[in-house]
Amino acid sequence: MRKLNIKDIILDGLTYLFSSVSILILITIFIFIFQRGFSSLNLGLFTSPYWSQNYYGTIPESNRIFESDVNFDKNEFYSEKYGIALKDDFNARNEVIVVISYIHPDSPFNQLINASSGINEGKLIVAEEGMIVNKISYITSNGITRSAGPVLKQNAEETIKTINQSIQLDSAFIQTQGGGIMGSLIATLMLIFISLAISLPIGIMTAIYLNEYAKYGRFTPWIRSSIELLTGVPSIVFGLMGVLVLFPITAIFGANGTSIFLGGLTLSIILLPTIIRTTEESLKVVPDSFREASHSLGANHSQTIFKIIIPAALPGILTATILSIGRIIGESAALIYTMGTYISDKPELLKGATSLAVQIWSIMNGDQPNFGLASAISIIILVIVLGMNIGVKVLTRSKVKQW
Amino acid sequence: MENSFTINNLNLFYGDKQALKNINMDISRYEVTAFIGPSGCGKSTLLRCLNRMNDLIPSVRMEGDIIFDQENINKDKIDVVQLRTRVGMVFQKPNPFPMSIYENVIYGLRCQNIKDKNVLNKVCETSLRKAALWDEVKDRLNDNAYGLSGGQQQRLCIARAIAMEPEVILMDEPTSALDPIATAKIEELIQELKKDYTIIIVTHSMHQAARISDKTAFFLMGEVIEMGETRNLFHVPKDKRTEDYITGRFG
Amino acid sequence: MNNLSNEYKKLNIFKTYQDLFFKSLFFVSAVISSLMIIIIILFIAQKGISPFLSNYQYGQQNIASFLTGMVWRQDQAIYGVAFIIINTLISGFASLLVAFPISVLTALFVVKIAPKPIGNLIESAIEILASIPSVVYGVFAVGFIVPFIQNLANLLRIQTAGGSSLLAVILLLSIMILPTITSISITAIKAVDIDLEKASYALGASKTQTNFKIVLNSAKSGIFAGAILGLGRAFGEATAVSMVAGNKMFGPTFNLFDITRTMTSTMLAGLKETTGLDYDIRFSVGLVLMGVILISNLAINFVKNRIGKNHA
Repeated sequence: MRKLNIKDIILDGLTYLFSSVSILILITIFIFIFQRGFSSLNLGLFTSPYWSQNYYGTIPESNRIFESDVNFDKNEFYSEKYGIALKDDFNARNEVIVVISYIHPDSPFNQLINASSGINEGKLIVAEEGMIVNKISYITSNGITRSAGPVLKQNAEETIKTINQSIQLDSAFIQTQGGGIMGSLIATLMLIFISLAISLPIGIMTAIYLNEYAKYGRFTPWIRSSIELLTGVPSIVFGLMGVLVLFPITAIFGANGTSIFLGGLTLSIILLPTIIRTTEESLKVVPDSFREASHSLGANHSQTIFKIIIPAALPGILTATILSIGRIIGESAALIYTMGTYISDKPELLKGATSLAVQIWSIMNGDQPNFGLASAISIIILVIVLGMNIGVKVLTRSKVKQW
Repeated sequence: MENSFTINNLNLFYGDKQALKNINMDISRYEVTAFIGPSGCGKSTLLRCLNRMNDLIPSVRMEGDIIFDQENINKDKIDVVQLRTRVGMVFQKPNPFPMSIYENVIYGLRCQNIKDKNVLNKVCETSLRKAALWDEVKDRLNDNAYGLSGGQQQRLCIARAIAMEPEVILMDEPTSALDPIATAKIEELIQELKKDYTIIIVTHSMHQAARISDKTAFFLMGEVIEMGETRNLFHVPKDKRTEDYITGRFG
Repeated sequence: MNNLSNEYKKLNIFKTYQDLFFKSLFFVSAVISSLMIIIIILFIAQKGISPFLSNYQYGQQNIASFLTGMVWRQDQAIYGVAFIIINTLISGFASLLVAFPISVLTALFVVKIAPKPIGNLIESAIEILASIPSVVYGVFAVGFIVPFIQNLANLLRIQTAGGSSLLAVILLLSIMILPTITSISITAIKAVDIDLEKASYALGASKTQTNFKIVLNSAKSGIFAGAILGLGRAFGEATAVSMVAGNKMFGPTFNLFDITRTMTSTMLAGLKETTGLDYDIRFSVGLVLMGVILISNLAINFVKNRIGKNHA
């Protein structure tokens, strides 16, 4: 019987130990992100702007009771006199706020008139559930104007009690909660569109050139190497390049500084190697017999390419597209330089904005990092990226069977 | 002369397919025994049983006894790693490791934790001499083994196996990937080696078997049809199927 | 008949021009793609060097003090990049040191030891880790790794700035380059000829001996390539690192629990204006970064070839 080899045992042990590391890390990351972000996740995120909007509006008179058969929770306090329910809540920084939890359809709070000077003066303010109440001014039985609400350190219950004792209400300061990703969502979509619109054609055409025209050309290895080198360049360097080289192009169109357009242009360069490589691979798989058949039927080179080869390579091109979208959503460093870090709620092509990833960066880099929101956006990004990965897997598995 | 291996009622299955049927044979020591027969008839499978290399295939199931040195090596309790140091193997395609010639030869010794440089050097020289390769490589022992020709690489693999001082050397079609000159060299080598080792060789070429073996076993569809002295098997085969194979009517 | 052959002639001429047009189009695309790398290098080099030229509009900077300086203060316009290079090298190589054994052994486990379902599970986990964006790693690092280090430091009674530290950067980078090195190692190990393994077993080697002496040995050039790629990624990682580095003003940092500053964190820190020396100097740092990546690639390749020769 051989003696037990100590070295073997140690190596085996280490192998088993280290192999569990990757799964442990993955689980830890996911648990952390979901734990911190899940509570901040709600559908409102997708449709609300990031920046809080402040409103100051006058409340019209009302002379009736607003009965409601709504079942209020015990933490909601409803005023039948004015048809509004308030409750206590916490904002993203864990400060106590008072929030509208219900407005009766006929309540005067549904007819607030904007009283701040400016273009919106006199227009209707749409008050909604979820909006924060900062102050409600009311008129007492003595005709004096007083205030109620968090500005007087009142909570929801106290505020309702106070306004119920008033003769009528005067005005209200309310604000939207903000912290939404709608702006970044739109900016990300614009980014995807621009970068794919540029990199897909150039990348596909380059791949066609390399595989269909110059497969064994003298300069082809050089072209391939120079494209491969791009994959080793850190994305922040692409950001620098974008600001230097591509900015003048955007300036022609009227941009003066960071812009979504510049970000898209820069991203398209980052995507080039992946698109070229993936497309080339799918071109290689197209059997030569297709090409021979097409030529023998009298088609020239370009007809063969457009009618036969590109359609056959479509699954590969689709894969490249999905991979690219995943890359775009995850990219941050290059966009910080080319698109800026100001979160815009109304993104414009020639102005700066943030993608989802850069919004996370902005949030974390601010004075008070909002972990909940950052994690919530991370969850969204992770779900999208994971979905794309699975999509690519399904695609490659099903299309391989074709020939 | 005692037997190297005694095989009793050996049956082997790949999943549901039976690859070896009721094999019974004795293999004598210090002789060359050849396994011949058409492709897929079980010769290599049986060879791999003798050093338990079939263990590496997951769907394999075996019944029966293989007696080696008074022990049944077909039982699970056997230390197969140790068995393989006593029953060496040379493969069809030469497969030297991507290391120097020296490191290739002493690889097995290193695995047994033998570290003494003097021992290793001595074993290396002895094995390379026995494999008739020493003169060709003695000045370049530190060169990569891949620089050798196909025939030299195969002799290196033989030296590597010999370095373990096995009692038996199994050879699975050792010359089928080599040219005729390299083949002749190895056949010559085998005649020398049988003085010290039992050799069992699987070969596709019955002419090779006729040239170099003392005993021959003819396999067909997983069974041993006939086994005996090579001269007898080739000149006066007892079974018609053997005769058909030898005269080239099939296979 | 005559008319038809005329039609064919016209069509042929059209088809020839069509071919020529598209061929040129494809060619131009290929040229554009291949020029990108050169454009990147040239333009960044030009802008990166410009602060050190005499006609620089914000005042010529001294290139020697830039390259050898050990202090970087945005507020006082002192820019020395030497210690930052050292910090980047330290964090990059340290994370490679941590991630490399884990990656290689995981790859060995997946290909050679684990039963299929577990192997696939780990491979999928690696793929998922590879697709997580840097920002998300950054959030994780700030929220999990940094507090963990703070607790560790408290336990060891060491001073730390809330947990942002060299150690945080190293741990973060190790996690981020793990998937890269592992997936390339898996490919390299899968490519090892099975005949070599058979020969090893036939010589009486155990499974572990075969795996380490033969399989990993044969796969080593592929694994090395993976390590180089991983190291490059560690050097170039920007967003996540800048969230936990701390951005020390001088250095280099050797203390694991002290804050540090890498080239990439410098390029992202305090990015406010888009003009001025403070902005332009980041291009200089970017140029240095590319240089460091290039030189370390060459150095490792050199080492790899030397080892390869000796081991035959």
